[in-house]
Amino acid sequence: MATAWRRHVARVAAGLNPLYAAGAVFLVVYAQVFANSYDQRVLAIAGIYALLVIGYQFVFGHAGALSLAQAAFFGLGAYVTALLATRLGWPFLVTFPASLGAAAALAALVALPVLRLESHYFALATLAIGQAALAAAVNWESLTGGSVGLGGVPPPSLFGFAIAPGTRMLVLIWGLVAIGGAVAWLLIRGPRGLAIRAAREAPMAAGAVGIDTGRMRFTLFVLGAAYGGGAGALHAHLLGVVSPEVLRLPVMVSCLAMTIIGGRTRVAGAIIGALLLVHLPEWFRFAERYGPLVYGLALLATIVVAPDGLTGAATRLRQFLWPESPPPPPEILPRAVGLFHAPAEIDLKVIELSKQFGGVAAVREVSFALRGGEIIGLIGPNGSGKTTILNLITGTERPDGGKIVLNGEDIAGWNPHRIARRGIGRAFQTPILVESMTALDNVALATHTAVTAGLSYPGRRLAAARAEAASLLGGLEIESSAMQRWAADLPHGVRRRVEIARALAARPRILVLDEPAAGLDEAERNALRTALRDLAAQGMALIVIEHDFHFLSGLASRLICLDAGQVIAQGTVEAVRRDKLVEAAFFGPTAGADGAP
Amino acid sequence: MSAIQLTANGLALGASYALVALGFVLIVNATGAVNFAQGDLAVAGGFLTVALAGAMNLPGGVLLPIAMAAMAGFGVVFAYLAYFPLRRQPPATVFISTIALGIVLENGANGLFGAAPRLGPPLLPGGPVELSGLVLPRQSLAIVAVTCVAIAGLHLVLMHTQFGRRLRATAQDAEMARAVGIPVGVMIAWTFALATGLAGAAGMLLSNQFFVAPGDGTNLMLKAYIAVTIGGWGRVWGAVAGALIVAFFETIVAVLLSQSAAEMLLYLAVLGVLGLRPRGLFGETIGRRA
Repeated sequence: MATAWRRHVARVAAGLNPLYAAGAVFLVVYAQVFANSYDQRVLAIAGIYALLVIGYQFVFGHAGALSLAQAAFFGLGAYVTALLATRLGWPFLVTFPASLGAAAALAALVALPVLRLESHYFALATLAIGQAALAAAVNWESLTGGSVGLGGVPPPSLFGFAIAPGTRMLVLIWGLVAIGGAVAWLLIRGPRGLAIRAAREAPMAAGAVGIDTGRMRFTLFVLGAAYGGGAGALHAHLLGVVSPEVLRLPVMVSCLAMTIIGGRTRVAGAIIGALLLVHLPEWFRFAERYGPLVYGLALLATIVVAPDGLTGAATRLRQFLWPESPPPPPEILPRAVGLFHAPAEIDLKVIELSKQFGGVAAVREVSFALRGGEIIGLIGPNGSGKTTILNLITGTERPDGGKIVLNGEDIAGWNPHRIARRGIGRAFQTPILVESMTALDNVALATHTAVTAGLSYPGRRLAAARAEAASLLGGLEIESSAMQRWAADLPHGVRRRVEIARALAARPRILVLDEPAAGLDEAERNALRTALRDLAAQGMALIVIEHDFHFLSGLASRLICLDAGQVIAQGTVEAVRRDKLVEAAFFGPTAGADGAP
Repeated sequence: MSAIQLTANGLALGASYALVALGFVLIVNATGAVNFAQGDLAVAGGFLTVALAGAMNLPGGVLLPIAMAAMAGFGVVFAYLAYFPLRRQPPATVFISTIALGIVLENGANGLFGAAPRLGPPLLPGGPVELSGLVLPRQSLAIVAVTCVAIAGLHLVLMHTQFGRRLRATAQDAEMARAVGIPVGVMIAWTFALATGLAGAAGMLLSNQFFVAPGDGTNLMLKAYIAVTIGGWGRVWGAVAGALIVAFFETIVAVLLSQSAAEMLLYLAVLGVLGLRPRGLFGETIGRRA
């Protein structure tokens, strides 16, 4: 146990940037040796903002949601601590968790209606929550003291130790920053970090491999609020008073600016942003009443020079000065591990499935069955409803009628991630990848290791997930060098196979592919066909949309031909090919006489 | 205050908000970025007319176009400071750069004019108008009239001129506009000029009726943001309707209840609207295609 912990600490230490460690040492020396009591107070405020911003990064950086409610959680935390400490005389060990909890509870309460809103509507709704909280604080005088606020908040006391403003308070606040920062850092590292990024940048793809993007957004929002509540509690103790000022827009604007100036997703960025923006006005005091103006100019200059934050600029500078050699190719596991595992019993029945778009019936009472080892080819002219059927089966669209029964359970209308977890994997018509990740990580994020990642050893889990991903990509004949390239830079044929590998990483029982061979050259097509046949031979079931009879003829055990949302023919490839109705659907009723186009 | 005066006041406030909100919509459509300084630009316009009125003795009707032109010119400078260096960055980055310039504007005004509210020049000289026994506040009517002219002019330019078509093409799909030879950068600079000119007009109109102070920008921006969002993001007529709704809360509801109750109700109403119609009152109801 002790050795395990020592190893854990060693891993964390190894991940620390020496530059940031040096900065931390400098801060400690400055605070202890050079700072007077006013400087210490400014440092304490910077620490409080650092906590607020670390929390805000969960929402703005990791969930990618421009929330303007972080100040409301900050203010709520401050008021809860002030009320409990002054009216009831409760100790810090009770009031601090209460502030955290109250902010988290408010976030959980508002999250359900608010999180479903898109971009600007979400921003405005969160802004309205903040402004409503401000109005409540000003008007509910009997509880909040109105615009005067609440005074006489005592310094926190821990185990009978009163923590007076000054060095002790600094140690408490920055100690909590260190703990909060370490927790945040552990939470977002490793495979879970990949899943969070996928949920943010390619939510449809994330859902298709079983990542519950809605729950992830909810968790990040509530977690961020808890950090805000904690920061507010410390603010109340440090100042000794709480007034509606803590809920006003400048707090929110500072928090947002610190996040962007420091960096949106890095813990170090939150700390640097808070330290810098809290100290800037102090440095510009010489400019007297034009001080804030200079502050605004400095803010503008910083963002123009380092638009992805100071931590982003530092990373680019390091890359420029000491270019990193590309990482070694990932270790490839034996083929048996990822690609070819025997799926459990499969019995999918699609029963009278229907879907309308406005007045148009896209799918009309389509029924078919699928068993393990089978490959169904879905064909039909453009607009005949093929993709809609796949969307219904994978949960991207909700059916208007009919059932989809997987091993005795009706999954019609379920969310995509639930269906994916039941073992239905999918590739999209146009591959959806997380463009800012390597091909390898695009697959690693879907592995079982990633989806079930706990808090322990994120680094080691990431290595395991990548090894699994590498074996899957290798199985689809993708070179190690291509695995390390950004998804955005990959050629089309590779993108398609990366997406199939990602679907396989989630260990599906049924694989659903929308025109997988489109845009592939002859060699790539043949390789893909062999890989798909192998999967079916191992007991997997597949549904493949394809236009090319030739591609399907050596592959599909059965074809289903659709026209205008209805099944017009089913059977073997040869039988469907000779069917008069199919011919009419593809070439028009009169085309038969003068041959194919 | 009589019911007529109150209504006229509400309409005048709504009209001024609509001008700020329209500029906001123009920039959002053209760049995808939220200009957080739109309110501060209106305040700057207000102070500009205060200064102009102090420097030269011109009637309001002459000051207005001068102020609008000057602000439009400043809008281009603003675009080159806050938008163009960051045009390849995510919209939230521009959000912060405009906040930074807003801070500069606010504190510039504070440094030059002081923090106290100032009264801007009237649009028309003289007192209330009497119309068949009804006493109508002249300034409020003038504000509404000017706003109507400005909106009609904007509509005309956007819908019926080649320049307007290019502007709209840029807003709808910048890539495509560039592909057919429209100078997208120039169009965006023009958009900032138009939007800032409208903000300047709003600033002058507000400064006479409701005074102007350096710290007013944030509140104006919030009101424009609400108007634009509940009206349906990026919709011109939605923004005008949204501005009138906000003004209704701030005048009529405020008189019936109280200032702070109206404020609280406004934000609760916003949450209610978004709860029932997640894309605003006049936004499209269909979901995004999968």
